[in-house]
Amino acid sequence: MIVHINHISQSKKGGKKSQLGELASLVTGSLVDLVEGGQLDARIAPSLRIHLDWIQYKTNFRDPVIVRRTTDANGKALALAEVAIDLRQCNAAELPLQLERAARQVSPNANVDDGRMYLDEYRPYRECMIWDFNRLFWRHLGDWEAASGRGFEASLPSGSSDANRPDAVHDSVVEFWQLLTNLDAKKQLPAELPILEIGVGAGTRAAAWIDGFKTYDESHGTSYYDRLQFILGDYSPDTLARACASLGRHKAHIVPAPLDALNPYKTLSQYRFKVLYVHLTNVYDNLPFDDLIRRDGKLYLVEVRAYLSAAAVDRLTADFGITKGDLMGAMRRLLEGGPAAAFPGDKGVSFWRCFWDYFRLEERLRAIDDREEAHVPPGLSWSHLEDLLAEAPEDVRFHISRGAAESFANTLPLLHPRGYLQVQDIFVEDMNEYRKGFKGPGKLDGSLVTWVNGALLRAVGARAGYDVHFRPFTYRPGSKTTVMYTTQKP
Amino acid sequence: MKLPILPTTVIGSYSMPEWLERAKNDYLARRLSKRDLDDMHDAVRKAAIKDQESAGIDIVTDGELQRDNMIDYFTERIPGVQVDLGSKRFYYDFYDTEVRSKLGTGSLGLTEEVKFLKKFTDHSTKVSVSGPHTLVKRIRNSFYKDEAEFAVDLGKALNRELKEMVRTGVTELQIDEPYYSGFPEDLPWAVKAINAVTEGVDAHVTLHICYGNRYGKPSFEGSYKYLFPTILDAKVHALSLEFARRGEEDIQLFKEFKAPFTLGLGVIDVKTQDIESPALVADRIRRALEVVPAERLVINPDCGCVHLPRDVAFAKLTAMVEGARMVRNELGK
Repeated sequence: MIVHINHISQSKKGGKKSQLGELASLVTGSLVDLVEGGQLDARIAPSLRIHLDWIQYKTNFRDPVIVRRTTDANGKALALAEVAIDLRQCNAAELPLQLERAARQVSPNANVDDGRMYLDEYRPYRECMIWDFNRLFWRHLGDWEAASGRGFEASLPSGSSDANRPDAVHDSVVEFWQLLTNLDAKKQLPAELPILEIGVGAGTRAAAWIDGFKTYDESHGTSYYDRLQFILGDYSPDTLARACASLGRHKAHIVPAPLDALNPYKTLSQYRFKVLYVHLTNVYDNLPFDDLIRRDGKLYLVEVRAYLSAAAVDRLTADFGITKGDLMGAMRRLLEGGPAAAFPGDKGVSFWRCFWDYFRLEERLRAIDDREEAHVPPGLSWSHLEDLLAEAPEDVRFHISRGAAESFANTLPLLHPRGYLQVQDIFVEDMNEYRKGFKGPGKLDGSLVTWVNGALLRAVGARAGYDVHFRPFTYRPGSKTTVMYTTQKP
Repeated sequence: MKLPILPTTVIGSYSMPEWLERAKNDYLARRLSKRDLDDMHDAVRKAAIKDQESAGIDIVTDGELQRDNMIDYFTERIPGVQVDLGSKRFYYDFYDTEVRSKLGTGSLGLTEEVKFLKKFTDHSTKVSVSGPHTLVKRIRNSFYKDEAEFAVDLGKALNRELKEMVRTGVTELQIDEPYYSGFPEDLPWAVKAINAVTEGVDAHVTLHICYGNRYGKPSFEGSYKYLFPTILDAKVHALSLEFARRGEEDIQLFKEFKAPFTLGLGVIDVKTQDIESPALVADRIRRALEVVPAERLVINPDCGCVHLPRDVAFAKLTAMVEGARMVRNELGK
């Protein structure tokens, strides 16, 4: 049996540490008791892996103790099994019982019915229904905000978006202006100066940026503002309309572009090799991903199955006056038609919020056949993934940030040879970091958030001829945001 | 071999197979022997020649797939350039290189390419070399007074090699200078360096100037206006320029400056996988004919097809040949 301690705390708060130590001791002690008591399958025990996590998201998709079993590529059960414990959620009183239950579930042939209601089949993360809920959230953001009594930004760790920090916006303006003056000095300044922001929200950052640029440009007498084209890219026409309305004073310089963040090039192909600056904040962390696990040199895809616990089912049926049989139907109506389609009035949003709160994912590991191309993100081949894994620890769980990779690969062709792409987000910059802590997914209000595999994006960039660098976001003390900066290789 | 009017040719490298990229990286990592890699190179060069012949290209090359990139293939060969062979892991990256003493006078060994071509095709053939300005921009200079002096000495080294290649039987040569467009201020001394390359070389020499094609993307943007009138001093027969991706506006510069060169007309955009139709190619040629007579036009892609999948590269070349044929027919030639 191997125990993995997956959390290396950066915190200096000693009290928390000792609590974690006590819980970890309780885990190992309980496991030894289970083995000695014959309650853990002797065939499983030698290869069993115990993972001690500390999930940074207070609301997430896991119960305190979960079991992951494995199958081969065709779904046949394998011996490898894992028990994962979230030390943040669990408590000493319940832990031994939870471990005992896990020990019963860990056998390949175990069939323990604890009354949970499954909402879906096993699927890779990228295809699971969390994305339906994510879409629902962005589509009905106003309803959620009205019910919660606070705006989405207030749910962010800092209480506001890092996109709009005035000093960050100012530095960005100056950096761009300097690029223009360099091009100007070489007589290579294009007649039009297109820049692109993807995921514009209410247009707050765009407004601050253009205001700042106009002022800076005027104070230096360079007249670049006259040639500026600010492309606002967002998938939602409503969002774009709202953002454009807030930018009326710059109307002549605004180009609204309804686009899919996964493929900006498709909409903006007329700007091929022309865009001088692309900016995104917290877009990549909300795009589909997969999780891969390497154990003993073998790769496994994490597949998930959505469920509600028996207690959650009881609460939902009681609180909303429906039968267990009606629950699935209400969920489908919610996802297809929004909260009002699930229940009339405020009850719809209330149901949505409760349902999401109880929503959990069960995990299993499916062995990947050699070179199953379906799991390689756009912009990379299997051999590039192998190169990435060569730099990774032997035993590692990591994200394939396929949505981010796809978006990134489909944005690069827009960049002018001297242009740059700047992404503010939460990145795992090095594969070794995956050994040091949980990197998502977690729930963020009604949406979800996952750290982005920066090492993967670095590989995508290198393949396409770009250097990818990371630097800390220094504008907010304690911020976990990193700035990914991409330029063409010299 | 007598060439038709509006002859077609290629620029730069042919489509690079992913398996060969892998093999090149394996060679760098000492997982593959040089002998095995050379065998692979010979096989893809033959395939590249065959593809060009099948597409109907008039002046063929060996596809240049044995070259890691347009810099290292030369810096590894030029006597006096020190190469840090441990400085790259990905074949397409550049080695760290430096010149600390005057360049030597040894052979670069490029005549092998001429012999290979003559052995495996009876079409007209062409061999390309990277120009001195491009090489100067990639080699750290710790000896020469300035870039201009270094470039002229590089030009002399290339000149010796080109003369040797002519003695081996090559009749078409091309010099690639994609970095002009990024450093227009260098042009006066860059042209002197070109003239050092071509002095006394008895072959038809084309100077290819594009905006870069590294990783299938331009390295620079702008207008060819910067070339004129300085480029008129270049002792070359033809200028091969990129027009398909950038538009044809700059062709007028040939008229405006009464450029005496043959024009290598870029009619295929190699930075997109969209395949041009023969009709589009023909349109591009017709528009060029309004400025440059047919006798002074050569039809080629904007740059190398190295970053395109092989089927796409082949389809583009086929469309280019068909488009040229359509215009030839209209001209009755």
